[in-house]
Parts: sequence; structure tokens; C-alpha cells
Amino acid sequence: MPESMDDSKMTATPLTRVLGILGIVAGVLMAVLGLFISPPDVVQGEAVRMLYLHVPSIWIAYGSFVLTSVSSLLFLVRSRRREDGGRHYDRLAGSAAEVGVVFTGLTLITGMLWGKVTWGTYWQWDARLTTTVLLFVTYLGYLALRRLPADPIVRGRRAAVMALISFINVPIVHYSVDWWRTLHQKASLSVGRRPEITGEMYWTLLYSALTVTIVGAWLIVHRYRVIRLEEIRDEENLKMLISSRGHERPTGSAADGEVS
Amino acid sequence: MSEVATVAIGWGLTFVVIATYSFWVVRRGRTIGRELGIGEVQQSGQEQESDLSADT
Amino acid sequence: MLTEVLLLARKDLRIERRAKVALGQVAPLTLLIVVVFAFALDANAPLLEIGAGGLYWVAVLYGGTLLTQRAFELETEGGNFDDFRMSPIKAHSLFLGKSLGLFIQICVLELVLTPAILLLYEVQVADWWLLTAAGVAGAVAFSVCGVLWGVMAAGLRVRSTLLPLLLIPVLAPILLAGSRAFESALGIRVDAGWSWTSLMFVIAAVHTVVGLAAFGFLLEEN
Repeated sequence: MPESMDDSKMTATPLTRVLGILGIVAGVLMAVLGLFISPPDVVQGEAVRMLYLHVPSIWIAYGSFVLTSVSSLLFLVRSRRREDGGRHYDRLAGSAAEVGVVFTGLTLITGMLWGKVTWGTYWQWDARLTTTVLLFVTYLGYLALRRLPADPIVRGRRAAVMALISFINVPIVHYSVDWWRTLHQKASLSVGRRPEITGEMYWTLLYSALTVTIVGAWLIVHRYRVIRLEEIRDEENLKMLISSRGHERPTGSAADGEVS
Repeated sequence: MSEVATVAIGWGLTFVVIATYSFWVVRRGRTIGRELGIGEVQQSGQEQESDLSADT
Repeated sequence: MLTEVLLLARKDLRIERRAKVALGQVAPLTLLIVVVFAFALDANAPLLEIGAGGLYWVAVLYGGTLLTQRAFELETEGGNFDDFRMSPIKAHSLFLGKSLGLFIQICVLELVLTPAILLLYEVQVADWWLLTAAGVAGAVAFSVCGVLWGVMAAGLRVRSTLLPLLLIPVLAPILLAGSRAFESALGIRVDAGWSWTSLMFVIAAVHTVVGLAAFGFLLEEN
């Protein structure tokens, strides 16, 4: 079995600790840069500061969902050949999706606040917003599917297929909604579009993206480890349950998919 | 709501959400680690650590 | 393979003919929804006329989700998937057979619902061909997506609450396209009704390809 308790005793990787501290420091600096040092926009005024959160958030969200899809694909293709049954990819897909959902939620919140100031309304039914909210709900469903009690390999396979189909579905949704809106309200789409960002704003945005990437990576790594600990705990519980029952049922049965 | 207030709410909410989520992840890891009897090893610092590279 | 597909579809329809869940429960329920919409909108005739296309597809969405659930409850209750795995029937045939069965049931549902909105919401049909084509396109797209996601939630303990959550975001483009196509067919909007109809066929095609590729993974347990 690749995951015994001994493995997890090799804890405290210095790398992630450095990453965590870096994330906190960079976050503070990002707030200083974004809120005080960078100038207000000519057109948008102070509202432009919201974009330093909004834009990197959606980048990380999309990045996480890409990671989920790639790991899901690898899970489906490689699970047979790996001795852990591909559960490494499954965990990676799950943790990335959860972090992606958090950042999609943040994108929606910051976007609505930004829209209130810039457009005068919290919500517009344009393609980007509508696609994002459907994406949010889709991945909430994905996380719900992952949480269900089932054989880890079977659940992993279903979750992987769902992640892939959801990803394929994104352009379909975007295209339909885009078409829907452009057919009926041509003008409203161009109102209050994002301005050209140059100079200090550009660097602030780039720096913010870097910071959010660090924070996102830290979160994904840690979430991954927690999922793994959960799995180890579940296996321990199962083993205890089986041994407490004596030898009347020697088979590991459903939830013990990893033991070959 | 003024522009500045809106920006403050947006930033505030974002930092609170990320901080809450991070703490939840770390705490959950610690709780399970303790249940498994490996929690003592990872007390230093605020992050819970187990080895990612072990099965990559 | 074609015989396998027909065999599987016939099996589902025979069960339906005996149990009469689609006709006896789901169809009346969707009719009820059509009535309830009128309550919600204060029986406002102009509003109902404008909304007729969209409300129709919301009712289909709801009824179709129930039918999808039903189609997979049948299989999991008897542990039929284990039997399928043992049998020489291929995963592809199972996917297409289930889709065909669901498609026919949704068509029946639409046949009940269409007169209902025509009479209760007082709308006139401007283009019968478009109405029929859009109805068929929506049913094809719905059934393919429904089967693909239905098998995902099949056999899990909370499938009745999980399936709608998984299914509805995927069905959203179909609802959008179907509603616009119907509005066009009912003469409420002079719009690209045929383009929306073809969009539904495209969605159906994409999900058929994906479903054929993925169904094997979903069926093979362990």
C-alpha cells in the first residue's frame, strides 16, 4: 500500500511553508500597492482597484479548472498503470476544483461590486457573467458528487468524467449565451467594458496575479494533503472495523478500492 | 454606496474569504492528523504539512 | 448494435407502458406547472403569451429531469448495471438505447404540453415546421445529456437531489435555445429560430460523441 501512516510522517516540507509565508507577505504588499500606491483610473476612478482582485481571481479559477480537467484526464488514462490506482490525480482534481470554486465565487462578488460602481447595476446578463455563474454552479455540483459516500475509484471515475464534460461544456454555454445577448441587446454589451490598463496599473495587476497564484497554489497543495489525510483516516477506520469484526468477512469490499 | 466604500468591501470580503478558507483547510488537516496520531510532528508554524511528493 | 439499441429502448418503453409513470405522473405534473405559472404571473395574458416559449421549456426541463431520474432508478434498483457488465451488450448500445427510450418519453411529454400552452396561454403557431423541429431537437439534446448525467448520479444514495444540480447547468443552453426557437415559432419574436434549433442539434451531437466515449468509463466499476 503506497499510503501508510509512515509516509505522512514525512511532514513539514519547507517549500510549502516558504510558499505560505510568501503568500501572506505578498498579499499585504498587494493590498498596499493596489489600494494606496497605484493611481485611480481616469475613467473608473477608485473602482479600478477592484480589478486587481477580480481579474487575477478569474485567472486562478480558470487555471484551477484546467488543472482539474488535466488531472481528470490523466486519472482516466493512467489509473490502471499506477499502483495507487490514480488517486493522486483524483485528489489533485478535487483540490484544484475546490480552490477554483472559491476563486470563482470571489470573482463574482468583486465583479458585482465593480459593476455596481461602473455600470450602475450589480448584474448584467452578458455572456461572461452568465457563463461564470453557470461555471460556479457546475463545479459546486462536481464537488457535491465528490463528497458522496461511494467506492473511491468508482466515484473518482465519475467525477473525472464529469470534470471533463463540464470543461467541454464551457464553450457551448459561453457561445449560446453570447449569441443570446448579442441578438437582442447589441449596444449594452459595450457599455463599461474594461479599459486599457497601462503603466503602474499594469504592473499592479501583474503583481496581483502573481500573488493570487502563490496563494492559490498554497491552497491547492494543502487541500490535497487534507484530502489525502481524509483518505488515510477512512482506510484506518475501515481496517479497524474489519478487524473488530474478526475474520468473519475477510474481503475489504467496497470502500477499500486501493488495496489490490 | 461610495466608490471607496465599495472597493473596501470588495477587498475586505476577499481577504476574509481566503483567510477563512485557509484556516479551515489547515485546521481540518490538523484535526485529522491528530486523530491519526501524527499531529505532533506538524505543530510548528501555522500550516499543516504532510508530504505531497511521497506519491507523485 | 442497432438491434441492441432497439432492444434496450423497447425494454424501457415496455416498463413505462406497464407502470405508466411518464404518462400517469410526470405529464400531469408538468401540466400542473403550466397552470401554476399562470398563478405566479397573475394570469396576465400578455405576459403569459410572451413567456409561453420559455415556460414550456422550463416545464419540459422539470419533467425531463424526473424522467431521467426514473430511467436510472429502474436500473440501479435491480442492480441491472452488474448484469449489463456481464452481458455482451456494449456500453455504446446501452448509452444509445437509454437515450432513445428517454427521447420517446420526452416527446410524449412535449405532445401533452404543446396543446396545453396553446390553449391556456392563448398563443398562435406561426410556423408549425419550426415548432416541430425545435421540439424534436430539444428532446434529442435533452435525452442525450440526461442519460450521460443520469448514469453519473446512478447508484448513489442521494441521487434524487444530486441529479438536478448536475443536470440543469448542462441543460441551460438547451433551455435557452429551445425557448428562443419556440418564441420564434409562436411568432412572438421574429428571430433566428432555425439557428437556435440547429444549435440544439449541435449540442446533441457533441454530447453523443462525448457520451459514447465516456460511457464505458462510467459503467465499469472497480
